[in-house]
Amino acid sequence: MADAPLHPQRALSRRGLERLDLLLLCAEALDLNGGEAMVWLSEEMGLTSLFPNRVELWKRRCSNPLRRTTRRDPLTEAEADGLIRILNALADRLYPMLRSLLSSAESPQLSEQRWALFRSRLQELLQERFNPRRGGVQRLLDPEEGPGLCRELIQTMALSAGPGGFARLKASLMDAAA
Amino acid sequence: MKLTSRYEQTSCRLILEGLPDLSAGQSSQTIGILTGFSLALAGNTEMEGQRDHLQALLDVVLPYARQLISGVSRPIGADDVPVAIRPAAGGHELELRSSQPNTPPLQLRLDDAELADLVRCLDRLQLDAQVAVPLVWPQLKPLRRSELRHRLPLARRLAAPLSGVAALLIAAGFASMLPNPRPPASAPAAVSTPSRGG
Repeated sequence: MADAPLHPQRALSRRGLERLDLLLLCAEALDLNGGEAMVWLSEEMGLTSLFPNRVELWKRRCSNPLRRTTRRDPLTEAEADGLIRILNALADRLYPMLRSLLSSAESPQLSEQRWALFRSRLQELLQERFNPRRGGVQRLLDPEEGPGLCRELIQTMALSAGPGGFARLKASLMDAAA
Repeated sequence: MKLTSRYEQTSCRLILEGLPDLSAGQSSQTIGILTGFSLALAGNTEMEGQRDHLQALLDVVLPYARQLISGVSRPIGADDVPVAIRPAAGGHELELRSSQPNTPPLQLRLDDAELADLVRCLDRLQLDAQVAVPLVWPQLKPLRRSELRHRLPLARRLAAPLSGVAALLIAAGFASMLPNPRPPASAPAAVSTPSRGG
């Protein structure tokens, strides 16, 4: 019994939940129809038993403690896997955009414009939905620290795309608390 | 009959060549014996190698991508293995060491996008049902606390224990300034009184 996990009912740690929802928010910041795409992809991948409609999908995302209106019931493993699968598919669709943000071959001016657009959209979404009193949200909104964290999020999304992305992201979301 | 399998992603092209291993009961369309592979990365010449080189490549690139997705960038690959990867300014440096003596190692600079392309090609190879070459794929595991530790800057990591020690010292300083409690004056008299009777 010594190896039993601390929270057997909990699929992801608190930090894992925060990161997963933040990555889904990034997908929305990159694609104006990201919210719709999530619902559509969830239906496409046969996840309707887990997330029957957009409200249920939104409720599952609200288990993120950084949200303004956060829900206390933890995600089950199947629900967490479903959300990771949706993110994997979104990242795959957005891969050309993620790649152009990360590439050093793009012209610096164009690249900076793209980053500025992404950051401003992400900031709008964060201010609308996340609790601005949380340290994690403040760091993302901080003009000094924010850009570096945004780049980390985009890099995470790029490595979560594609056939091996699901397993890689899932392992990363289950990291020990730092 | 020679078979080839191609994996392409914007800046990366990986081509495997091999033969079906009919003795192992594989179909004639499955690569079971690898005769060679070639890898072309952005702006660099094509590299060629054997199964051992491919194994060495995925032994370092996939664990590196695994830790990078958690925000940890640390070099991977010891001095005695043919491939190593380490973070470099504005990207990553892939070092390919030749098995020929007196051949200097080849260093390739990859940016984040090129690394992601290479990782996607390797992922597709891993899941390709048409390739049954015995390769050992690194396991994806959650990182331990000690592996994540350097993510927090040293100052922030030390802030909590140092402020705890400082608070203890200040509290101890104040406590030492409090006067010692004096024994009540009447107590010795009570003790010295001889017992009555006897």
